[in-house]
Amino acid sequence: MFEFELPDVGEGVAEGEIVAWHVAPGDGVEEDQVLAEVETDKAVVDLPSPVAGTVRELLAEEGEVVPVGNVVVTIDAAGDEPDPEEVDVDAGVDGADEEPTESAGESDDESATAGGRVFAPPNVRRLARELGVDLAAVDGSGPGGRVTEGDVRAAADQGAGEERTAEPKTESVEAGDGEQASAEAATTAAEAGGDGQGASTARASDRDRTLTAPATRKLAREEGVDIDEVPTEKTRDGEAFVEPEDVRAYVEARETVATGATAETPATAGDAEPATADTATTEAVTTEPYRGIRRTIGQQMEESAFTAPHACHHDTAVVDDLVAARADLKERAAERDVRLTYVPFVMKAIVAGLKEYPVLNTELDEEGEEILYKHYYNIGLAVATDAGLMVPVVEDVDGKGLLDLAAEANDIAQRARSRDLELAEMKGGTFTITNFGAIGGEYATPIINYPETAILGLGAIEERPVAEDGEVFAAQTLPLSLSIDHRVIDGAEAAGFVNTVIEYLENPTLLLLE
Amino acid sequence: MVVGDVTTGTEVLVIGGGPGGYVAAIRAAQLDLEVTLVEKDAYGGTCLNHGCIPSKALISATDVGHRAGEAEHMGVHADPAMDLQGMVGWKDRIVRRLTAGVEKLCENAGVTLIEGRAEFAGESSVRVVHGGEGEGAESVEFEHAVIATGSRPIEIPGFEYDNEYVLSSRDALALESVPDSMVVVGAGYIGMELATVFAKLGCDVTVLEQLADALPTYEDDVSEVVRERAADLGVEFHFGETAQGYEESGQVITVTSEGEDGGVTEFGAEKCLVAVGRAPVTDTLTVEAAGLETDDRGFLVTDDRAETNLRGVFAVGDVAGEPMLAHKAFREGEVAAEVIAGEPAALDYQSIPAAVFTDPEIGTVGMTATDAEAAGFDPVVGQMPLRASGRAMTVDDTDGFVRVVADGDAGFLLGGQVVGPEASELVAELALAIEMGATLEDVASTVHVHPTLSEVVHEAVKGAAGHSIHY
Repeated sequence: MFEFELPDVGEGVAEGEIVAWHVAPGDGVEEDQVLAEVETDKAVVDLPSPVAGTVRELLAEEGEVVPVGNVVVTIDAAGDEPDPEEVDVDAGVDGADEEPTESAGESDDESATAGGRVFAPPNVRRLARELGVDLAAVDGSGPGGRVTEGDVRAAADQGAGEERTAEPKTESVEAGDGEQASAEAATTAAEAGGDGQGASTARASDRDRTLTAPATRKLAREEGVDIDEVPTEKTRDGEAFVEPEDVRAYVEARETVATGATAETPATAGDAEPATADTATTEAVTTEPYRGIRRTIGQQMEESAFTAPHACHHDTAVVDDLVAARADLKERAAERDVRLTYVPFVMKAIVAGLKEYPVLNTELDEEGEEILYKHYYNIGLAVATDAGLMVPVVEDVDGKGLLDLAAEANDIAQRARSRDLELAEMKGGTFTITNFGAIGGEYATPIINYPETAILGLGAIEERPVAEDGEVFAAQTLPLSLSIDHRVIDGAEAAGFVNTVIEYLENPTLLLLE
Repeated sequence: MVVGDVTTGTEVLVIGGGPGGYVAAIRAAQLDLEVTLVEKDAYGGTCLNHGCIPSKALISATDVGHRAGEAEHMGVHADPAMDLQGMVGWKDRIVRRLTAGVEKLCENAGVTLIEGRAEFAGESSVRVVHGGEGEGAESVEFEHAVIATGSRPIEIPGFEYDNEYVLSSRDALALESVPDSMVVVGAGYIGMELATVFAKLGCDVTVLEQLADALPTYEDDVSEVVRERAADLGVEFHFGETAQGYEESGQVITVTSEGEDGGVTEFGAEKCLVAVGRAPVTDTLTVEAAGLETDDRGFLVTDDRAETNLRGVFAVGDVAGEPMLAHKAFREGEVAAEVIAGEPAALDYQSIPAAVFTDPEIGTVGMTATDAEAAGFDPVVGQMPLRASGRAMTVDDTDGFVRVVADGDAGFLLGGQVVGPEASELVAELALAIEMGATLEDVASTVHVHPTLSEVVHEAVKGAAGHSIHY
């Protein structure tokens, strides 16, 4: 029997909600057949079957949030028992597979440690080879910094996360802080999922005494957790030792258990109304879980707002000519089945502006104390969806024509709304556009899509009064709201950039030069 | 292909049935590979037939005799007669049991055994020439090969081994009678072990060593203990001497030697044992036919998976380089087999322990304090003399010490030097500690049995950790 554990379907996701099962017990499944849809922090993904066989049992309800690593379905595999190792490799969603890399030259890399030596027991060294982990790069948590099995496993998960995230970038770009956050999530996932016994993580310990760092105690207090309840196998000087990820894993596992419990409550409680948002209710306050995509958005906003000091620059482009040009081209585009919006024009104008002011196409590597200038133009488009904000990315904007950009932008926006995006399509952006004007309004204060350093908000293109040569007249205008990371970009550069963008938007023939 | 040859195919061809080869063969067979082992001489290689095991047998036998005769102060009065023929017979029975055991293990594991000498006919085939006239030859095509052809004693100019006057270590272990006198050229571990054996048998032993001390690869205070004990047994040492040649006159020979100052000295003896090191055996292989790379000393060049420059061709044991120790060969053989089977094995040990079976023994593992400093550590050292050990006194063997070297910052064990009784056994604990990344505190907090010699290791570790009780 094959036990299918919920794989880390995205980059470092800790848990996933089973949105819908596509199979039922007794169904025959082919390899790669979709078993379920799973919603993670980032997106909804299909879960393909790593084996062919017959579904024995579904171990998670639709709507249940399952920690990564928990068994969600058991399958009686056709033919022989599959090799567990191979299955692990295949278990990921397409593109998430990670073959452990060969590490024959490993000993050469170990020079990082004093004496070229990494202190780790032989079984841990073997595990590191198996998982393709460079021991020299692992921080040991054992006595004196000895590398333990857990350290290697955590590093393997983290490494896999970083590799995937770094993929769309050019080689010169190093992983920024954003990745580390997700890597931590992966660590949590590993801790929570562990041996497919996430639920046991929720089982409270009951110690009299726990060793931990003050910061961890604080975290526990914040999460409302008694530190003596947090399960851990780690010890220091013979006492139980708790680290931040243990606390987080415990909190998550507790949440999972709690969710499972509420799902059953209505049946037993009988009189209680389920407190869901779409049920008419007389209660003054109703709650909705802050989880999944909502929480991911929240965390990203929080990180951006509290990391990058935002400064905003507002200006208005008079776009009568652009409106005319777009009207002209719209029919031509329609002949080619492309709906031409203003977005591709704006994208092109932004690329022109970025080429003149490259500092807006950057990322700040706080740890490395470097500003990374990106010499490619991948523009993210913030799209409002039912599930929340998504930012799919159009790559290499400078190398594509207006029609291509229009087609691509429409496509990813459409798929964002229908939640058909691949995770990879939301990565690797260098600058973001938020088109709140599609809903209405003039100016806003966009939050930067951290770790990018600038974002341009578009108001609605409407007739508005414009003053010129002592007269006021009506013209089509496009209000622009630029937010910058003031650590990296000065106000003058922001203004200069917006001026260039406006110049191109007001004189769309200039776009021919791009 | 020669007409009349039979060609067979195998997944894994192992050349040489010594410690590296037979372990590789058994491990590969355990991992469900089809294995053929070619051995040209005797299963078990040098280790079982002419090295480790025979020498240890004679060392133990002579030690029993010697100690029995030196135990009046313990209240034992004896004058044992030592019969070398009897000892060699006992040793041969041990060797036969062990080599038969190796052959049996290989057969039970499903390894196909072929007797003969393998030589490369190309990158993926060997010709196996059977011993004896008219036995013919056969070709074996392989997917993977493990070369484990071992090493042989180095011969020096002027001293061709003739098994009459000039003996190799192999010859010396098969002598039927004890010579009255013997010149031993080379005070390395083989020379010192055999010098001790023959001294205990009543032979007048003179050791000539080119360098300035016995066991020159060991630290001075380590070799000093062994040299002094050997001198007490009557072994005469001459350092800075380079043996030039010998002349025979009747039943005896005269060995001439040149000192550092150019002066020539003559040493008369019945036999001359030459023990100046060992060289890899690659000449029987026609390695050039396969395109195998060797280093300037003739060892096959391998990576950390025991693989040579040719993909799929591995080399293990002495032929793959220093240290030429059977236990290194065991490990390499296992790793080669596991790598062939696709497992993530590698030669990633932190240290290879080594032992010298002199009187007293030496056991070393990992770094000396000097090594540790050179490697960038800030080492702490703990040392405990055996004369402070109750157990050493009760086994009547109090020369020597245990020294441990650890990283001063985190306390990781880095190395150990043990000289004293059972040093070869005592070093195992330190090897495990080093391999596990154990700290001084880990070992210090481990309870050791009293009264044992292992307490001396314990105490040395506690000394390095700064809280020795008994010293």
